Amino acid sequence: MSAPSNSIKGRAFGDRMLLALVILLSIIMIAPVLWVIGLSLKENAELMANPNSVFHAPYTLKNYINTIGTSSVFRWVLNSIIVSGGLTLGTLILSSLAGYGFARLNFPGRNILFVIVLFGLAVPEQAVLVARHQIFSMLKFHNTYHGLILPGLSASFGVFLMTQYFRAIPKELDEAAMLDNASRFKIFWKVLLPLTVPAQATLGIFTFLGAWNDYFWPLISATKKDMFTLTVGMASTQTNFAQSEGIGFLMAQAVFAGAPILIIYLFFQKYIVTAVSGAAVR
Amino acid sequence: MADQMTIRETAAPAVGVRVPSANIYAPQWRNFVFVAPFLFFFTTLLILPLFWGMWLSVHKADTFSTGRFVGLDNYVRLVHDKVFLQSVWNTFYFVLLTVPALALIGLFLALCLNRRTRTAAVLRTLFFSSSVLSVTIVTLIWRIVYIPNVGLLSTIYGWFGATAPAFISDPSLAMIGIAIATIWWCIGLPMMLFLSALQQIPQDIYEAAALDNANRWQTLRSITLPSIKRTFILVIIIQIVLQFQLFGQAWLMTRGGPNNLTKPIVLYIYDTAFRRWDLGMGAAASEMLFVLILIAAMAQYLVTRNKGDQA
Amino acid sequence: MKMNAILLAAVSAGAMMLANPSFAATELTVQRFFGACDADFGTNTDVSKAVGECGIITSLINKFNADNPDVHVTVTTVEWPGYDQLTAQFASGDAPDIVTIHESVLSDYQSKGLLLPLDDVLKSVGVTPDAFTDAARNGATKDGKIYGLPIDSWTMLYHINMDLFKQAELVNADGTPILPKSVDELLAQAEQFKQKTGKPYFVQNLANETALFTRNLYTYLFQQDSDFFADPKHVELNTPEAKKVVEMYKTIFAKDYTTKGLDYGGAINAFLAGEGGVQLNGTWVVGDYNAQSETNGTALNKGGYAVYPYPQLFDGAHAQYADGHTWAVSAKEDRTAEQTAAIGKFLKFFTDNNFDWSRTGHLPAVKSIIASDQFKALPHRDTISAVAELGRSLPPEVERQFAIQEIIGEEMAAATSGQKETDAALADAETRINELLANL
Repeated sequence: MSAPSNSIKGRAFGDRMLLALVILLSIIMIAPVLWVIGLSLKENAELMANPNSVFHAPYTLKNYINTIGTSSVFRWVLNSIIVSGGLTLGTLILSSLAGYGFARLNFPGRNILFVIVLFGLAVPEQAVLVARHQIFSMLKFHNTYHGLILPGLSASFGVFLMTQYFRAIPKELDEAAMLDNASRFKIFWKVLLPLTVPAQATLGIFTFLGAWNDYFWPLISATKKDMFTLTVGMASTQTNFAQSEGIGFLMAQAVFAGAPILIIYLFFQKYIVTAVSGAAVR
Repeated sequence: MADQMTIRETAAPAVGVRVPSANIYAPQWRNFVFVAPFLFFFTTLLILPLFWGMWLSVHKADTFSTGRFVGLDNYVRLVHDKVFLQSVWNTFYFVLLTVPALALIGLFLALCLNRRTRTAAVLRTLFFSSSVLSVTIVTLIWRIVYIPNVGLLSTIYGWFGATAPAFISDPSLAMIGIAIATIWWCIGLPMMLFLSALQQIPQDIYEAAALDNANRWQTLRSITLPSIKRTFILVIIIQIVLQFQLFGQAWLMTRGGPNNLTKPIVLYIYDTAFRRWDLGMGAAASEMLFVLILIAAMAQYLVTRNKGDQA
Repeated sequence: MKMNAILLAAVSAGAMMLANPSFAATELTVQRFFGACDADFGTNTDVSKAVGECGIITSLINKFNADNPDVHVTVTTVEWPGYDQLTAQFASGDAPDIVTIHESVLSDYQSKGLLLPLDDVLKSVGVTPDAFTDAARNGATKDGKIYGLPIDSWTMLYHINMDLFKQAELVNADGTPILPKSVDELLAQAEQFKQKTGKPYFVQNLANETALFTRNLYTYLFQQDSDFFADPKHVELNTPEAKKVVEMYKTIFAKDYTTKGLDYGGAINAFLAGEGGVQLNGTWVVGDYNAQSETNGTALNKGGYAVYPYPQLFDGAHAQYADGHTWAVSAKEDRTAEQTAAIGKFLKFFTDNNFDWSRTGHLPAVKSIIASDQFKALPHRDTISAVAELGRSLPPEVERQFAIQEIIGEEMAAATSGQKETDAALADAETRINELLANL
């Protein structure tokens, strides 16, 4: 056994090493973002001449003013809000109803249907994408909000989550009401739904973030600039730096595009973290 | 909806001969109403396209004309297509690059930041914050890190008079470049999952260990790691499923280049269906991806089911 | 009575607006590449002030909107070349009215019946096919009809930093650059350049680039009279001629005669910063580079900027790969007469203002402009006008030329960087292209 003092020293050294490593990792996390912000505050010509000019004045807000004046980034943020919000609302409604149905009620074929829905968890979006695109073409759904929202409504995850949650609620709560022959919807609405708010929050956050960050489907469905979501719009400006209005401008756009979701994250951090960890425990 | 429900409710006793009012858990068709809306979307937007895709995959179909039946031709072409095989390998390579790193770094961060200090809280916020950004912002940030001239890397290397590695264009580095950006983007979720697992380890076990004079390494090895083994496997599987679907990063950073070395399966599907207009073959590639993901999902199911057995 | 009259007037006014949508300006949707530069030219209608492809096209469309209050054009800017998006739009029945399409790509869409033949529309605004140069007209004509309004002919060029060429002693007595006449000369001059200046001879965008490789290959295959697309459904690339070209670029790469790891934008910046002698880039940057060379303190201002067609390195035909940009019009059944008329106006506007577009460096598509003093007076046109005769495209029957370009570029990139053997790369390119063409 080593002397206690020694072990404490060793511990302090080890702690410092760990701390250094964590600090290094956090620098890696934050440096690219600071670089982006730095570039966004510089004149393009100056950057091209010397990238080190990021570290000293003059700084300018010109790129931001140009973004406000000419970029479609606000329109794209709005589209993303409509699509993500619509999808979140729709998912919450459908999943709660179905979760209640599967967990609390019985109907012919319930179990087999639930297995089929579970199977849906294993179907990646990409596997149905080609066919879905063709079907939406026939229905003339592309370049519309519902065209962007509808595919997400078929995801099973929410139903799975809500079913699990409804099952966990003690049966005594609604059994009495059911024996009284109260309306099933009333029971669902008045008795059980209020109890599921935490699960709603988890599901809502996941759905919203997922929709906000979705890229693949909007890429092939929203092909008009006015219908671009933020992800597609940002992608459309970045693929060829040379053809665009300069790196500073692009970076200012990126800051505009990234800021709303980061601010939302900071505000709702507690809920988001609970939601993520909550999903993990399950 | 509510009105409809009440009407059905009052109608029910009339036909209630078969359904004794006491047996509230007997199967009743009216209960189906609750799951019907979801099932409608599920069937039309997932199941139907799934079968439609299978149908397409055995047809020679292009974007602008209806196809003809070709049997398994598309699949045969697919397994003979060097680019497809390359893309399958690329996908596995990418998973291999990212998943262990995500699990290990995530675990390391969780172990370090699992304390009630303010600094730890701030750092947790920081490490998770990148996860909320969308893929296009992440790739924009990392292209700006990697690009020659005004890139962050080339600037830093420039201070030492060195040339930065060409992370986007060098054939041997391109996938690693994408993997680094991906790890940066996705590190938050594994960290959070590990943190919540760590917090569920009962504190008294640690106190007992402290009494036994166990050092930190011993505690970690004999208490902490065994308690989160299942979370570790869960993280690995979740990440495999997630990273298997790589698309955005590769498409936006390298377009799958140089010479298809960073083209994942999903990008191959996109290329085939929407750039080569070969819907049938794109659908066939989709089915292959589906099978691969199904296998991973099965593994996940087995792991979570075992958990249920033990609980 | 009075009340009734007002009501009647209101109703009929409403009815008129419903019946006649041109009461408001006719809406046209235009989709184009050439980049976005709204910050600098978003409201500029004085075309003469604009420089470069993006600035000039943005200003031209602004001017069209200002000149034609009865038409309103909304522009979607897509990343080059934008065909993924266009295909998706056509598939979903949401194509823009007017869209930029390369001559080499027109037949992909035309063969599916997605484009409107423009002969009647052009006739109605007084534009006749013989107004265009032969190259432009032939490139835009498919099955005897015009499917795109040609706006230019373009090709790749040697953009030269004369300051570095002087340092490398690669300048003739008359001040013109010494350019190679054979592969050996090219390699020798590149070596000399590297020795004297310490910089690579070529500035190339090789990072995830396919178009440049392919255009280079086509050019030097033409110069060897290699008929690699004798059958438009079948390419022959695993040939000694192709091997010669790939081996040349492989040597250039291996001996550091070229920049490496730069993307398109990076290559432009590197050339403008004086980091190499010759940039391989298209006609479209001539205007930009010339403007740079006239700005004090730039690398091109030091010793001057010169631009030439690709040198003739082989004994065959004097030729180099060329293509052209067109405005194509989507075929739509529900288009009103007003909209068609507005499209005619737009196309006529671009024909009339073809000179401004040619200031980019592209060769004009309109015959009268190429012969005009105004055009000849533009800088460097004395050296690059030759490409009008040199320009050659792939046989027009070859479909999916952009997909083919990508395959060739990928394989050539692998071969020149030494990642793959030349023979294997050419064989793979050939197999992949033929597989593509066999399964259209």
